[in-house]
Amino acid sequence: MLTLLRDLRRIRRDIALDRPVRGRSLALRHVDAGSCNGCEHELTLVSSPYYDLQRFGLGVVASPRHADVLLVTGPVTTRMHAPLLVAYHAMPEPRRVAALGDCALGCNVLGTAENIVGSVEAVLPIDVRIPGCPPTPDAIAQALLELIDR
Amino acid sequence: VSAYRESVAAAVEEGWRFAGLHAAAGGSCVRTLLVRDAAVRLETVAVSDGLAPSLVDLIPAAGWDEREAHDLYRVGFAGHEPLRPLVDHDLDLAHWTVPVRGNDPYQIAVGPIHAGVIESGHFRFHVVGERILHVDARLFYKHRGLERAAEGKTLDDGIAFAARACAACAVTNSVAYAHACEDALGLVPRPELARVRTILLELERLWSHLNDIAAVCAGVGLAAGNNGFAALAERARRLNAALTGHRFLFGSVRVGGSALTFDETMTRGARAEIDAIHADSERMWHELLFNASFQDRLPGIGVVGVADAERLGALGPAARAAGLEEDVRAASSRLAYEGFRPVVPRRAAGDVQARLEQRALELLQTYALLDSLLARPVEPAVAEAGAREDAIGVGRVESPRGATSCIVERSGERIERLRLRTGSYANWPAVAFAAVDNLLPDFPLINKSFELCYACVDR
Repeated sequence: MLTLLRDLRRIRRDIALDRPVRGRSLALRHVDAGSCNGCEHELTLVSSPYYDLQRFGLGVVASPRHADVLLVTGPVTTRMHAPLLVAYHAMPEPRRVAALGDCALGCNVLGTAENIVGSVEAVLPIDVRIPGCPPTPDAIAQALLELIDR
Repeated sequence: VSAYRESVAAAVEEGWRFAGLHAAAGGSCVRTLLVRDAAVRLETVAVSDGLAPSLVDLIPAAGWDEREAHDLYRVGFAGHEPLRPLVDHDLDLAHWTVPVRGNDPYQIAVGPIHAGVIESGHFRFHVVGERILHVDARLFYKHRGLERAAEGKTLDDGIAFAARACAACAVTNSVAYAHACEDALGLVPRPELARVRTILLELERLWSHLNDIAAVCAGVGLAAGNNGFAALAERARRLNAALTGHRFLFGSVRVGGSALTFDETMTRGARAEIDAIHADSERMWHELLFNASFQDRLPGIGVVGVADAERLGALGPAARAAGLEEDVRAASSRLAYEGFRPVVPRRAAGDVQARLEQRALELLQTYALLDSLLARPVEPAVAEAGAREDAIGVGRVESPRGATSCIVERSGERIERLRLRTGSYANWPAVAFAAVDNLLPDFPLINKSFELCYACVDR
């Protein structure tokens, strides 16, 4: 256990991450509206030692009730349309929506019309666009840090 | 009595294993894929009056495939009772759940949206207190109609649909698709093409298995283990980007050849980084082994024994962790796995601990494979004419989650029907089975010990 913790300290030192200077936070709620799982895998690593966004006050929360930002991945499938709206309406105001990844932005989406409603923007007002297929943890981190300053 | 059922039953007697079932375009016939070592065969039966004979009594693992063929191609299966909806979400609860009776059982509905960064899917737990009696999984929230959308596309363009099914299995699905097309076109990969694809497949397994170990640590709540292995998964993905320009190796596989070039500097750098990841993962694994509170959570949880694994059609690490020594890599004539032997843990108990250990054992194979495959630079390569052409092609590849089968039915240069049956698809029934009799709070851990994708099931 001590070795594991020492390793993590070493990683942190080697990467030389910036010290957080912000005193604010954003609570993020992720909804997979039909992605290929690429955005999820990259979003997971945003919390890993190489990026460690928690130190900037950015954390994924378990309920939309606790969230400031809805992070939506994937083209919105017919079956995820209603659950996505439920999650959005459960959020307190002010709330923001981030479309994460090219599919969520309606770019180069594959599938049939009967199974896909459209981009996130077609069903919700969006505040942030994070392009990429999938966006790298770096790109996700950058976009979220800009959002925290808005 | 149907000749189809008889011939499938006889094949199973002779040691052939079920590897998928699908309705052909238009639902005119049903095809069952059977495999034995490197050999594959398709048993086809015509659909008459909307019905085909069911195989579920002979092969329980065909259950999901038949339900899918019914929901997407309107084929009924005589003898499959009740034929519960799988892809179809329009029917109410009583149609897709198993009735559970007894002393005070109740249901807990979870999803499709989960509490963490997790794909969408719905689980209905039938419980008494915290004890799970039964789980009905309802997936396909992410169904995008990818197979249907691929119909009519050229064989070259179709690979995008196989790749997009799932980022975590993008290489596996693409190689399985390329193999299926090349099988249909009578093309045989040159050794150099086999080598570069094998490198890509093992790079995918590398980040995936590291990710899976991190996920089990997260399931137990061991943040240090989770972070340590997540950092290694990050390094593996950076290595992917350094070699191919993409962290998930997207766009690195195509039908009929490969344009990838890794010069000596790249292969030398890759081997050094793989060596370093190997050393660090061994050290971290050692820490996990001697962390008593972590280890205490693993044995006896989420058990799928060898007989159940076989009956349910479990594949890949989940099946090997139960003692089934099956791995498509041992019989992959189109890939560079000469001399590969599947590995199973000494204590093949089919529980969370065995499935975790299985990942660690397979990582050792992957480090060794990559080290030798990257011993010299990689050059562009092709597949050459060398076999009989056919209207149907089959590709089989071992994904990090088990054997993936891809079938391409073509009409000339165009796709008539594409079916992708991934390792995740095969294993979901085993996840539901593994949860029975366990405590509800252990379900996330059980689920993570399989770490299946939803995306490549839903397609």
